[in-house]
Amino acid sequence: MPHKVDIAFTLNGRPVAAAVPVSASALQVMNRDFDLTSAKLACGEGECGACTILLDGVSRNSCLTPGVDLDGRDVETVEGLWTGNGMDLLQDAFVEAGAVQCGFCTPGMVMQAKFLLAPGKKLTRDHVLRGLEGNVCRCTGYHKIVDAIVAASGETS
Amino acid sequence: MALPQNQIPTAFEAFVNATSIDEACKALAIGDGTVVAGGTDLWVQKDEAHKTFGPRLINISNIEELARIEIGRDRIRLGARVTMSDILDNGDLGDIAPALCEAANKFASPQIRNAATIGGNVANASPAADAVVPLLCLDAKIELSKWDGKKISTRDVPADAFFSAPGQSVLAVDELITAISFEHPGTNPIARFFKSGPRPALEIAIVSLGFSARLAGGKLTNVRIALGAVGPTPVRARKTEKLLEGQRLTDDLKAAALDTLADEISPIDDVRGSAWYRQHLARTYLQEALHDAAQS
Amino acid sequence: MNKTIDREDIIGARVAKLDAPEKVTGRTRYINDMVLPRMLRAKIFRTDRVHAKILKIDTSKAEALPGVVAVITGVDAPDGKIGVIKDNPPLKKDKVRCIRDELAAVAAETEEICDAALRLIEVEYEDLPPVFTCEDALKPGAPVIEVDRPDNIAMAQDFSAGDIAEGEKASDHIVEGKYNVHYVTHCNMGVSCCLADISVDGKVTLYSQSQYPYIMKMDLAPALGIHPGDLRIIQPPVGGAFGSKLDVYPYEPICVLLARKTGRPVKLEFSREEEFIASPTRQPVEFRIRAGMTSDGIFTFRDISTLLNNGGYTSWGATTPYVTMRTCSSHYVVPHIRYSARAVYTNNPYAGSFRGYGNVQATWMLETHVDKMAEVAGLDPLEIRLRNANQPHSMTPQGSNLGCIDLVGCIKISAEKSDFLKKWNAYSAQWDNGERYKRGIGIATSLHNAGGAKIHKSDGCGTILTMDDYARVTVMTGASDIGQGSDTVIAQIVAQELGVPLRDITVINNDTALGPWDVGVHASRTTYIAGNSAKRAALDARNQILAAAEKQSNVTADQLDLRGGHVVQADNGEVVIETGRLLRQMHFAGEDAKLVMATDYYEPPTEPEDENHMGDMSAAYSHAAHVAEIIVDTHTGEIEIEKIWSVQDVGKIINLNGLEGQIEGGIAMGIGYGLHEDLKIEKGIVQNPAFRDYHVVTAPEMPPIDMAFIETDDHEGPAGAKGIAELPTIVIAPALGNALYNATGVRIDHPPLNPEKVARAIWERSNKNDAE
Repeated sequence: MPHKVDIAFTLNGRPVAAAVPVSASALQVMNRDFDLTSAKLACGEGECGACTILLDGVSRNSCLTPGVDLDGRDVETVEGLWTGNGMDLLQDAFVEAGAVQCGFCTPGMVMQAKFLLAPGKKLTRDHVLRGLEGNVCRCTGYHKIVDAIVAASGETS
Repeated sequence: MALPQNQIPTAFEAFVNATSIDEACKALAIGDGTVVAGGTDLWVQKDEAHKTFGPRLINISNIEELARIEIGRDRIRLGARVTMSDILDNGDLGDIAPALCEAANKFASPQIRNAATIGGNVANASPAADAVVPLLCLDAKIELSKWDGKKISTRDVPADAFFSAPGQSVLAVDELITAISFEHPGTNPIARFFKSGPRPALEIAIVSLGFSARLAGGKLTNVRIALGAVGPTPVRARKTEKLLEGQRLTDDLKAAALDTLADEISPIDDVRGSAWYRQHLARTYLQEALHDAAQS
Repeated sequence: MNKTIDREDIIGARVAKLDAPEKVTGRTRYINDMVLPRMLRAKIFRTDRVHAKILKIDTSKAEALPGVVAVITGVDAPDGKIGVIKDNPPLKKDKVRCIRDELAAVAAETEEICDAALRLIEVEYEDLPPVFTCEDALKPGAPVIEVDRPDNIAMAQDFSAGDIAEGEKASDHIVEGKYNVHYVTHCNMGVSCCLADISVDGKVTLYSQSQYPYIMKMDLAPALGIHPGDLRIIQPPVGGAFGSKLDVYPYEPICVLLARKTGRPVKLEFSREEEFIASPTRQPVEFRIRAGMTSDGIFTFRDISTLLNNGGYTSWGATTPYVTMRTCSSHYVVPHIRYSARAVYTNNPYAGSFRGYGNVQATWMLETHVDKMAEVAGLDPLEIRLRNANQPHSMTPQGSNLGCIDLVGCIKISAEKSDFLKKWNAYSAQWDNGERYKRGIGIATSLHNAGGAKIHKSDGCGTILTMDDYARVTVMTGASDIGQGSDTVIAQIVAQELGVPLRDITVINNDTALGPWDVGVHASRTTYIAGNSAKRAALDARNQILAAAEKQSNVTADQLDLRGGHVVQADNGEVVIETGRLLRQMHFAGEDAKLVMATDYYEPPTEPEDENHMGDMSAAYSHAAHVAEIIVDTHTGEIEIEKIWSVQDVGKIINLNGLEGQIEGGIAMGIGYGLHEDLKIEKGIVQNPAFRDYHVVTAPEMPPIDMAFIETDDHEGPAGAKGIAELPTIVIAPALGNALYNATGVRIDHPPLNPEKVARAIWERSNKNDAE
């Protein structure tokens, strides 16, 4: 049996605990221990951003983040942005702008966008384009994703 | 990530979530430790068949004192777990070490910059390590700490004596990189960092080149030229530096410097680029650096 | 006076995709996310050889590993083969023919146990002499890859029209060229994955990313030794496909065989490295062209021969000449044509279909060559294209009536918007001005089928439409939505006919046990063909509703309309009855009770090619023109695209959001093809199986795109629409190549235009100039 470590952290606003193998990635912990599938394994080496989550408010590739390092942190995934009521402003913007095609990259894009957004600050297209350089989308050509994020920036979320 | 049959995953058997340098070094003193901070290199390499890692995973990302950036009057000290984003977000480093900031700016992706640490980039000892090239130009020192049985002892290793081969360095199994430090370069140094594109980032350098110098009375002094991905480790171009040191930048000197650089590096062909192209880029970057130096 | 409702046009609107809310909230479950009770995981043992005899496969140690439930090899598999000419056994037992070959597979309780088991499998080989290039494979005495094809030719196509000798006689100039186009791969964000489950009576349910589920049943069944009718394909949402899932590849039968051996659901998912190594690629092609013209630049003949590196097995890559040939014979008017294609077995990986299918390659070759011909004729790139452009309703040498095309409009509008000629003249005057950064502008155009392609006996699609008591509509279509947005387009078309809000329509498209037949999502056909079928089913339902309404009112059906969930009078919009209420009245009408249901099967008015490659295989054709303006760093060879102008004949806009998204995404893929995507294969082995060394386009590399649409209003297409999604990928790369030439005087015939290649060519040009 792989050696497991007990960890406790905040997941989408709720306190949680799990015993995780030391070799597990944060992505595996999300997926296997909490049945969260929004963060996707698409490359496993930090080159595509499909697994992006927020760790203490900062975007990270969950495939490269040690699962044991989640201990004590505040973790957010896209599942936390919609809990049965209205969607997050950013999610609405993605839908309206046509920023979604196959959708596999979308949760990672939304979380990276969440990281880029600062309250009350209108983002420029160039800022967003570079801010998304770690998130690969094979469908959209990025412009509609950028449109969505620019539209959502400067609004209160 | 490899074909499953070609990988041998590291099965970590113990975990130390260190909160102090003491704790981390004591765990390392056992001799079977693997240090992790951002994880951006380790979590890819831990499954590669040709890599072996100690089974005791020691997390240093919660050690507060390793996360400090200290801007002293004489010396700058970056804690080993300072991330690339920390470097970019720091209000002072942009003026003090612009080439280092440019390297951080071209480093991988925002998510990786948020995780990858300066200590990790050094420890990984990649020939193409982005941050190492400007550190070589800054004459940076790598501070190594270990538990000697009674207390923490440290030694400083100059960056250009640190690397020995791809993925290898003088770092001992019981040692922890605790800081990177360099002398305050003073005001208005010439400092440039070039990296092959065309992407702004998310690119492993085909060639990277750092250049720094001072211009005094029309003459170049303190010339430092470092390159990544032209040999088994990031390297200083000492012959070219020597040629330029204390000289006026004439067209002839520039041409001689380009030829000297071509002679003293011996890049290889690989999947990212040919030796020819690496030479061509190195020449292009030095040419641009010298051009800018002459303008400044 | 009753309430009135105005007519609302949802065709041409900017509509949010129906599946987008589920996707932005992370609720969409791809196969990659699926878990079934008692599900096993599976992995494939792949060879590390390129050509070898298999002497022994020893799986005993793997089988003994705790947690392993089954290990299979070729001896466990039926003899049926897969692939276009059935030359690919899913599990190889005699011989290895390329690097991705599957020798064994493991099903175990966890992925980690699968990985460990694979490392315990031992294989003994006897290496055979390999062959990697078409040229070498065609030499007498070359190693034979497929025993049934001793000449190593997997497929051959030849076409001719007119007389080349006559064309040569009419020519004042003959321009020759050689173009080698490279390997690229799809890079779907969701890696290949399937999940198989077996019922007690031996029926198979396969959760698949397939783009052609109905034909897949026929293609997959022989490899399983079952009747196609015993296969049910379910398609959960797909993380991209782009043509990669238009054939059966070995992992799917392997997964089913493991499910059958274990009696448990089995899921098989690739690693990203495996995705790079073991997915189909775009077909690499070596083109040779001789093309003639008069002194006025009027085309006289084209003589084109192509060699396709087929790799070890034959998938749809080998059939791409059917489309390549169309561009070679029919893009611009050329009286005398000769075309030949040979797909040649080698020990390389093999190619499949990929967005733009044979035309990405053809258009790179042709549009580069047309620019070279313009220079020889002393014409500018616009003039030569305009002089030779196909006109509306003209007949091609292969018997296609091009219908309502507007190539001339595409060229003129893109040129005008980009100020093409002025820039083109200015930039080419700056080649030798010594500046480091140079600007260039280039144009390319293409012709593509825009109403399906009858490559099978049928190119049809079925629809089953039902309405419930609340006027909610369920549309079961055969068409697959792989993210491109066809469900939304179909819903729009149905909403328009039935006068209901978009959110009242549910489109179901993901189960061969529910939906009616369809050929699959490819050939820019889904909007056109599935859209037509949905429209016809909706019209049928509409007529049923209006006939019932006529009975209840004093108004004849032809004076009624359906709007906003109501039956209204067509002239003034006055409400007659709420549609739901009418449906309930129809439903609960005793002996006359009726549910509104409609079925339709639409077969487009097209014909398969005959043995001479004649036939009007698509119901519509379309063109696009792209202009690219670039800045070249002549020192590093790096190209920055400043702006792209795209003009495309779309027939009629249906969903503006979706249309723009397809064009932007298609251009991004085409930029990757033209500038830096390059699956490097050395001696049969993939050298860069990772995103870090295989560069797809990222956000900061995307230039602004100025899009314009020409609405030619196709007489057959739904609401006048044509298929649109492939052209943007096809056209952009040669526009970039032509812009590079305009900027620097450097012509690169073999894509991609990566920095090293560009820098080297510029360096060589300047050395040559210095020498002269």
